[in-house]
Amino acid sequence: MSASTMVTDAWDALARAAAGNEALEEARLLRELLCFTVDGDPYAVPVERVREIVRLRTITPIPRVPTEILGVITLRGEVVQVLDLRLRLGVPAPPPTRTQRIVVLHGDEGEVTGLLVDTVSEVLRVDESAIQLPATDDSAFVSSLCTRGETFVGLLNLEKVLDLGSL
Amino acid sequence: MAARRKRSNSAASKAQSEFVPEAEEILERMRDDLGLLAETVDGDLNPETINGLFRSAHSLKGLSGMFGQEAMSELAHHLEDLLDRLRMGRAVLDRAGLALFDESVTMAATALEKIGDESEAAALAEGIADLIGRIEAWNAAPRAEAVPVVPELDVPPALLRALTEYEEHRLSDNLERGRGIYVIDADFEIASFEEGLHEIQSAIREVGEVLSTLPSPGGSLESHIRFSLLTATELDKGALVGRLDLADNAIQVARAPLGTAKTEASAPQGASASHDDGQTEAKAAAARAEPEIAEPGTLKSISDTVRVDIRKLDELMNLVGELAIQRSAVQQIASKLAMDPATHRIGTDLAKVHKTLERKLQELQSGVLEVRMVPLRQVFDKLTRVARRLRLDLEKEARLEIEGADTELDKLIVEELIDPLMHVIRNAFDHAIEPADEREAAGKPREGLIQIVASQRGNDVLITVSDDGRGIDAEKVRARAVEAGLVTAESDLTRSETLDLVFHPGLSTRDEVTETSGRGVGMDVVRSNIGALGGLVDISSEVGQGTTLTITLPITLAIIQALLVRVGEHRFAIPLNSIRETLLVEDSDLQRTDGRQLMNLRGEALPLCRLADEFDLDTPETGKSYAVVLGVGDARLGLLVDHLDGQQDTVIKPIQGPIASVRGIAGATEMGDKGAVLVLDVSALVEDVVRKGEVS
Repeated sequence: MSASTMVTDAWDALARAAAGNEALEEARLLRELLCFTVDGDPYAVPVERVREIVRLRTITPIPRVPTEILGVITLRGEVVQVLDLRLRLGVPAPPPTRTQRIVVLHGDEGEVTGLLVDTVSEVLRVDESAIQLPATDDSAFVSSLCTRGETFVGLLNLEKVLDLGSL
Repeated sequence: MAARRKRSNSAASKAQSEFVPEAEEILERMRDDLGLLAETVDGDLNPETINGLFRSAHSLKGLSGMFGQEAMSELAHHLEDLLDRLRMGRAVLDRAGLALFDESVTMAATALEKIGDESEAAALAEGIADLIGRIEAWNAAPRAEAVPVVPELDVPPALLRALTEYEEHRLSDNLERGRGIYVIDADFEIASFEEGLHEIQSAIREVGEVLSTLPSPGGSLESHIRFSLLTATELDKGALVGRLDLADNAIQVARAPLGTAKTEASAPQGASASHDDGQTEAKAAAARAEPEIAEPGTLKSISDTVRVDIRKLDELMNLVGELAIQRSAVQQIASKLAMDPATHRIGTDLAKVHKTLERKLQELQSGVLEVRMVPLRQVFDKLTRVARRLRLDLEKEARLEIEGADTELDKLIVEELIDPLMHVIRNAFDHAIEPADEREAAGKPREGLIQIVASQRGNDVLITVSDDGRGIDAEKVRARAVEAGLVTAESDLTRSETLDLVFHPGLSTRDEVTETSGRGVGMDVVRSNIGALGGLVDISSEVGQGTTLTITLPITLAIIQALLVRVGEHRFAIPLNSIRETLLVEDSDLQRTDGRQLMNLRGEALPLCRLADEFDLDTPETGKSYAVVLGVGDARLGLLVDHLDGQQDTVIKPIQGPIASVRGIAGATEMGDKGAVLVLDVSALVEDVVRKGEVS
């Protein structure tokens, strides 16, 4: 898989050199993904869905909600729920660490949610063709896989992740 | 994505955001005037009303032209034409004409709502074109042309020559009606003549009509200016002199009124005293008497006010809130510095500066809040219109009385009040007020009375809506509730608990109830609408006497006073307006009866609920706790908490995230470095606990 990607990259480089401009790159569908890890596994969300990334701060618990919802934080006057991605993905939650971050997402209708992740690693720029459907359908929370060198990054199906059912 | 789309449209939407509210305001005025017109369509038309409409149509034409709303501009242009013919006496208003006006205003309002909706544009344009066609047809229908006749009058010819065509028409119309025509000379200081002139014009309009106001030569002093007011009235000269409180020689009779002129005694009440009896009358008159027909050059607004998007005020409010948080940080630093001997001086200096900062911040906060306040009149005026329409539609004899329209509330609350209040008024007309014959048989006046009274009480505004209709039969409500499975036949409910059932969704949407109980359609919606505003609704009723609905609202949504409480390490805020009292209770005070926790509060059983249990909070039980007595209507609930942390002004924010709402939580508020504090939804908590008790 990675070999063919390298070949494609090489062809692209040649083509670009031949054309002498960057138009080709512009024409390609590039996607930017924010990558983070949960329990050592890499996951990503499209950068367009991310509003900001903040350090762990005081979380006020809310009663009568599923345990995955840790509570709420305040963000410049807004009050936003925080969802623990570990618990959501079925991984036991360790004690808080210094590298933990809250990825604050835009919602479809403008509502905002915080996702608690273990570490935020990078912003990945990939070609649309590097994103593929998952080989196995073992988790509905991951909608597709993206190749990153030798490894895969799981692209989160946010609609599914954020759908905690109605109370 | 959405943000980008918004940006590309922003020029258009900015124009819309300026155009729509202003156009709405104009249409509102037109509806008001049309309402007045409808009442007098077969009798004398008040020229002021026609003029008002004419001005509105003219403004609408200009405004919609400016924003490129051509169809609307065209419609307004035709209305203006029609109104011009009416005020010049070249056309007579009949029912068909009035219907056209009504339709035009409705059409314009629809067009405003659908502005920017391309899919509707074609259909709307067609509708407007059709309407314009009909207006033209009505306009073209042959009618007797009134020929202005100005007979010999004892009026200076210079004055007559200066009359416009419209003024001439008004003069001949008044002459035909046999009214007296007078020339009133009045003399004012130049510095303040507008005020004086306005006052006398208002006074004249109380008893007649100002046909023309012209500056006249012969001012006695250089610093004075003199006006001649050509006036028509049914009063004779003596009465007019008394009424206007003028010298006898200031009024010249051009023609005495024909027939039986009204004398001083029969003039409207308080005739002689009225002119100088203070502000109120001048204000009332001013409301009615707008300046004379505006020439295009003077259409610009005379007021010094600006229109502000309420969201901008919200942003300001948020900023003030953030400043308050920074302020507390400064305070902490100051006290830290003051504790250390090395920095004690700086610390106390900083503390002083902080005090001033705190005071100024408070002023800023109340300043911003004040801007958000608007009088309830805005809502009440709409209700008056609804009532007028209902009276015609339902053919019910009932009148609406309003008191306290000057009471001020947060603009957002006022907006949200319109629907629930409209609903309540409609219910009252539709169901509560009996047909006139039935009322008479019951020994009541034929005409029903619906009263709305608003008043401020501390940080709350109280609005009561009462009627003298048939009232609610609690037994029937109860029977319905048993049938619907809301309560059991054995339930021991007080009368007010029973009446409260009309707010239950399972009961209030059922039409049959309204036939028998007088009120109730959609009352659950009314309660939830008011509840969403942080308000409370109560009902009381006597069969045959009527029903009273009491609505309690916080003055502003932006800031509420809350009591901070603690349960273990969890902190919550409870809106102060729903707290009746707080008590320190020992475990020995608590009793358990029938699965319910109770305590004896001055001889009454107060149901209790441990907040830790209600919210499944992990906390050790302490020997003693505090009971916060919550009140929703007549229902009481003692909420047990560990500590009371004092009062605080809080800004309630909605909670965003995947869980749309949590029963019992109204929102959250920011507490500086301590993060968020949840605000309890008192109505929901009380309802849950009280209902749980009933079912068990």
